[in-house]
Amino acid sequence: MTDATSERLILAVPSKGRLMDDTAALIAKGGLTLARTGNERGYRGELKGLPGVEVAFVSASEIADLLRKGEVHLGVTGEDLIRDLIPEAELEVELLKPLGFGHADVVVAVPDFWIDVSTMSDLEEAALLYRRRHGQRMRVATKYRTLTRMFFAGHRYGGSAASLDTVTMYRIVESLGATEGAPAAGLAELIVDITSTGSTLRANGLRILDDGIILKSEANLVMSRRATWSPVSERLKEAVLEAIGGRGKASA
Amino acid sequence: MIAVGAVADPTKSARWIEALGQQSNIITSIFARAGFEPVQPAVIQPAAIFLDLIGEDLRARTYVFTDPDGRELCLRPDLTIPTSQLYLDRCGDTGEPARYSYNGTVFRYQRDDANLARPREFRQAGIEYFAPPAPPQAEAEILALTVESIRASGLRAFNVRVGDLAIFDALLEAIDMPSRWREQLRHHLRHPGAFRRQLQKLMRPEEFGRALAEPLFQAIQAARRGSIRHGDAVAALEQHLEARGLAVVGTRTLDEIAWQLEGLAADLKSPPLDPRAALLLDAYIKLNAPAKEVSASVRALLKGTAIDIDPALASFDERLRLAAQEGIDISDAPFAGGFGRQFEYYTGFVFEVLSPVIEIEAPIAGGGRYDRLVEAISGGRAIAAVGSAIHSERLLLAVRGGRP
Repeated sequence: MTDATSERLILAVPSKGRLMDDTAALIAKGGLTLARTGNERGYRGELKGLPGVEVAFVSASEIADLLRKGEVHLGVTGEDLIRDLIPEAELEVELLKPLGFGHADVVVAVPDFWIDVSTMSDLEEAALLYRRRHGQRMRVATKYRTLTRMFFAGHRYGGSAASLDTVTMYRIVESLGATEGAPAAGLAELIVDITSTGSTLRANGLRILDDGIILKSEANLVMSRRATWSPVSERLKEAVLEAIGGRGKASA
Repeated sequence: MIAVGAVADPTKSARWIEALGQQSNIITSIFARAGFEPVQPAVIQPAAIFLDLIGEDLRARTYVFTDPDGRELCLRPDLTIPTSQLYLDRCGDTGEPARYSYNGTVFRYQRDDANLARPREFRQAGIEYFAPPAPPQAEAEILALTVESIRASGLRAFNVRVGDLAIFDALLEAIDMPSRWREQLRHHLRHPGAFRRQLQKLMRPEEFGRALAEPLFQAIQAARRGSIRHGDAVAALEQHLEARGLAVVGTRTLDEIAWQLEGLAADLKSPPLDPRAALLLDAYIKLNAPAKEVSASVRALLKGTAIDIDPALASFDERLRLAAQEGIDISDAPFAGGFGRQFEYYTGFVFEVLSPVIEIEAPIAGGGRYDRLVEAISGGRAIAAVGSAIHSERLLLAVRGGRP
């Protein structure tokens, strides 16, 4: 990665899929063009119409990491990844603007036939009995280790007060894909995962707990506090923000 | 050459390493003289047992990895669990008394790797006494050996704080309530907010049967009363799920869910927790008093109730007397009703040794009684156990007034 110290601004953009397309569309709306430099499948690019901005095409989770390390100035990525991959995110990055796409909820979901469990508090009770019966803790399959741990310990995102409905009798098992299949495969008893419509959860016989929405996430323009900021990169940051409609909520 | 901009880590200096070595020699020779057999459990341990037995805070800080054979392993974050495993391997059949000591590195992730009181790897010097013939005597002895080791290492200023989970247990047992409520309260002891919230819930059991169709609700209630067999309630649950197209997914069984539903139904029919009992439990976990005044303070809380936990209180006082006999006066040590140490496996007397020059959340030593750990590992019978471990680096840091 190019160092973020020079008189430029490095903007990290998702390298594929809906997130990339939506980012490109948003930028186009602001009169700029997101373009790859070099060949069509390269990982470098530029913002045509705003010289001095260098674009890095990387995966959404890698963007969170680059922001944390200060290797890029700005990045477009999901709040879920920011909160999960950057402990104490407020100290390392600033969420400049929600972008109105990439909506997904991070949720706690249990098998639908657990008719005794509708809330986190029910879950803890069931988990105590499970521990006694099975001689091990309930397993939560997830790729969101930090979000899960914080939420189960009572932390609430979005400025809400901490909850006393803590769940402690569990353990996390890391899941790198197809998390929703983990309970059916016997790899976990419940999951924490993202969902946008809930249909994948339903298809796998799972149900979201009544108080099990951890985070309503969407793509954000995120600023790294760790990156080296100069008057030039500050000015470029404002120009990028301006191009996508200024600070504040995205227009629908 | 002078390094500019970076200060060399003082805990890597020859002087520090030598001092740590000398301190280890002092401590291990005290343990050996007291008849504790040195053991050396493996550094790399199967992860599952730790992930299952330790609290969430430490679990998040355990280094877990997968080896080429696909086994989930960890760098031991603690030596009590592997030493208990070793006891089971050697004496699991007989349940005979055994005294082990260790002096080895443990590993715990810390976000801030510059905090000298919280290094990511540190040496634990500890003793564990399994199946002691006289557990209170063993508790006093372990405490005394820990304090003796700390003194012999050159630390003059330190404080001991104590707690006793057995008093809390006795209190729970003496108050009339369903046993699952006791289990819930015991579980929440280390989380005061959640504990209080649970007390409130038990005073006002919520409406039950919200999502349950009538036939299932009837069956669950009947099973609770004992007028039908539990198996019939499970069958009713199965029909209920089938009618709604809800498939059984995963390892949790219908039997378990029916059981849980019966428990919830029983909660509803039980008289709510007596508000006076809730107040009492709340007052107890908030209790802070010098150890010598604990019995009197708890008796004052119990005044006017029919609750009698004299044996537990007498046993606590006996501990103070035995410790004094061992040369350790803890009569003025601060006692807290809600103090149970971070490990969920403790069951009785617990203590921590604190240094005034190191943050209170970073004790230089700690230990206590843990009767349920061996049982939890083996799935077999309960074995009484008492142990303690000294955080070697913190102790040395404290001896040096907080500077390496």
